[in-house]
Amino acid sequence: MNLDRSFFVPARSFLHSLNPLTKLTLVFAMIALAFFSFPWMAPVLILPVFVMGFIGKVQKQYSNVIAKLILPTVGFMFVMQSLFLPDGKTIIFTFIIFDVSLETVRTAFLTVSRIFVMISSFTLLLLTTHPSELMSDLTRRGLPGQFAYVIISTLQILPQMQAKAQTIIAAQRSRGLDTQSSFGKRIGALVPLVGPLVFGSLVEVEERAIAIEARGFTSTRVKTSLHEIPDSGLDKILRWGLILLIIASIVSRVLVT
Amino acid sequence: MEVITQNAVYFVVALAILVILFVWAYVTKRMQKDFSTMTWVLIPVAIAINLTIGQIVLVLKLPVYLDSIGTVLVGVICGPWAGALTGALSNIIAGMILDPGWFPWFPVAAAIGATAGVMANVGYFKNWWKVVVTGFVIALVATIVGTPISIIVFGGLSASGSSLITAFLLETGRSLLAAVLTTNFIAEPLDKIATSLLAFAIIDGLSARYLSRFPRGENAAVEKGQQQIQMIIALVVVVLLILFGIFVLPSITGG
Repeated sequence: MNLDRSFFVPARSFLHSLNPLTKLTLVFAMIALAFFSFPWMAPVLILPVFVMGFIGKVQKQYSNVIAKLILPTVGFMFVMQSLFLPDGKTIIFTFIIFDVSLETVRTAFLTVSRIFVMISSFTLLLLTTHPSELMSDLTRRGLPGQFAYVIISTLQILPQMQAKAQTIIAAQRSRGLDTQSSFGKRIGALVPLVGPLVFGSLVEVEERAIAIEARGFTSTRVKTSLHEIPDSGLDKILRWGLILLIIASIVSRVLVT
Repeated sequence: MEVITQNAVYFVVALAILVILFVWAYVTKRMQKDFSTMTWVLIPVAIAINLTIGQIVLVLKLPVYLDSIGTVLVGVICGPWAGALTGALSNIIAGMILDPGWFPWFPVAAAIGATAGVMANVGYFKNWWKVVVTGFVIALVATIVGTPISIIVFGGLSASGSSLITAFLLETGRSLLAAVLTTNFIAEPLDKIATSLLAFAIIDGLSARYLSRFPRGENAAVEKGQQQIQMIIALVVVVLLILFGIFVLPSITGG
């Protein structure tokens, strides 16, 4: 588990140039279409997701994420669900004692393509948008600044804390702490590893609170931003279009059934 | 289609209850009480603790996750709303840097933080056996919130190891709901009780002066008593709760 990895890939593309909020709306539109619209919609959406990877010029990193994260999860789920879900009538074949039926394969395929579309759209958002850009845009639109502080400062603290954890593990091992043998010993090792890490980082909280208080953290005045994030007319049109799409997908489904 | 309409009704009712709670807490200023500057600074540290301890547990190869210690900590010393926010943001950040598959689970993490806060508010985070009860209640809430997400988003069977239990239960002829609910109920309590006990050990080690700077530091004032008797009570409580789970849960789910 590598914590200091952020998905963001700097590049010049149409997706990168869009406003972060537009991309966030796009993600929610994709999820709404995949989950609430007609069942055939989710598999159909897989193609546009791929195309978006190319538009954003992140196809290499995106296929990397597919191969390492999405496909193993989704593939395993597909096998599990086709084998074990109940309610099958048209049995295709029998694997040892498990019946694989047309209905379960269909359900499994639907679930799997929904998850593929959901995780892929989030991945594309994260590949083409830096977290701090997304947060400062949302703050400019009225999200309390504290949320941006939490997200950004967590992303900064995490690598430090991960390094600290590695140091503590190494230090305690060199003192003879047993982290590999019996189950009881490993449980016992938890406290000497967690303790220093947690207390060390909690001590800093008080100082940091005073520091950000002195920099006007709780001030209710409108804060200006040094970094301007573009929001073009095209962005606004796209956003409204996507919101209409979300509403249409839900309404059409309700009306038809 | 009837099932979908019924589920939609449950969803709308749950959402309405949440909105009412939210407005009530906002109007009565209960929510604002949770969020001092100390809280806002503690939340990122708590999220980092969540994710880093998850990593230490992987090194030690223990059969638990322990990825919500920070969430429980914030819930107890800052209040339920701060705990819920910590849980939700913790999953969102894990989704940003580890695996976007974490996003859909954020309501579960939020429920864990909120439950820890509510239990601490009614005084159930003051000694060992009470913390065990809190851990069990957290597990129960996590099961109730997590099961619908597991079924609706992930179809009930995912790529985790515990899905093998679900698969086994499905093969013995249980319904999907009963199977997923039972699996979560088997997997959650151990993890959440261990999480609560570790959070309690951390709070026990912090000074009263430090705790008093947080909005609800008084929730964590440890009751001094006979440690041995408390441990025995804790063990008895765990056994009773497991028996309760074994006998009551199947009759609720009709499995």
